[in-house]
Amino acid sequence: MALGGTAAAVTGCGLFGREDAPDPAADPLAPLLAGALELAARHRIAVDGDPTLSDRLSPIAEAHRAHAAELARLTGATPSPTPPTPTGGVPTGDATAVLTTLREAERQGREAADQACAQAPAERAALLGSIAAARATHVEALK
Amino acid sequence: MTQPTPSAADAALIAALTAEYAAVYAYGSIGVHLPAAGQRAARAAEAAHRSRRDALVLQLSNAGGSVPADRAGYALPFPVIDQASAVRLAIEVEERTGAFWRAALPVTTGGERSRALAALTDCALRATRWRRTAGVTPLTVPFPGRPG
Repeated sequence: MALGGTAAAVTGCGLFGREDAPDPAADPLAPLLAGALELAARHRIAVDGDPTLSDRLSPIAEAHRAHAAELARLTGATPSPTPPTPTGGVPTGDATAVLTTLREAERQGREAADQACAQAPAERAALLGSIAAARATHVEALK
Repeated sequence: MTQPTPSAADAALIAALTAEYAAVYAYGSIGVHLPAAGQRAARAAEAAHRSRRDALVLQLSNAGGSVPADRAGYALPFPVIDQASAVRLAIEVEERTGAFWRAALPVTTGGERSRALAALTDCALRATRWRRTAGVTPLTVPFPGRPG
């Protein structure tokens, strides 16, 4: 009787229901996912403004989108079909100025990923480490 | 007397140490085929791998576990006969070594994890610079250290 009552209570609490699914927006990696999409958008906008930068920037934008897809899978988030508008303005000016702006954004993104990796549970550490290392290489590639 | 079974972290760091041994060995074949700037980069890379190697030997020794010895030689994945093959090997060394450090991330915490991440990042950066030297594009990969 007691066992049945417990089982009913557990089922009643929605153990397997969607209302108990973790909220992706509350996941500690939600800001990193948003940051990956924003970085991708920055590179895309820079290419739109200066298509001669495409060979350099498109692979980096693609990497950020791949990072976002992995982070979304990990957190259960559904990426928005609309790319975000980068906060703090979009990269403008001549190619040198654009690359400087992007380098700074990548440097900040790398710091965020470093921190996320340091604080992550074991099962997330390798992916976050790769994202942090990738962002460091983006800074190098934009020199 | 049997040695105690190493922890997951020690096992990963031992694997990283063997990768660092092999990296130091490989750079001995790389620099001689490169022009002056490449030789300087190869010397700096070799010194960085020696430094990681020494730090690992010290750390594992202090922890009281067994430390694998360096070997006299390591099989290179292909013959290094000219500048192109030397740079290609440098890229591969950094990619492979980075993979060992990435594998250490899930089994380490705190300062150990930070050191593993710094090592992975350094390998990825050197791989990027060697790709630039080789004229390989793109210069970067989306997930440094990830197998496949």
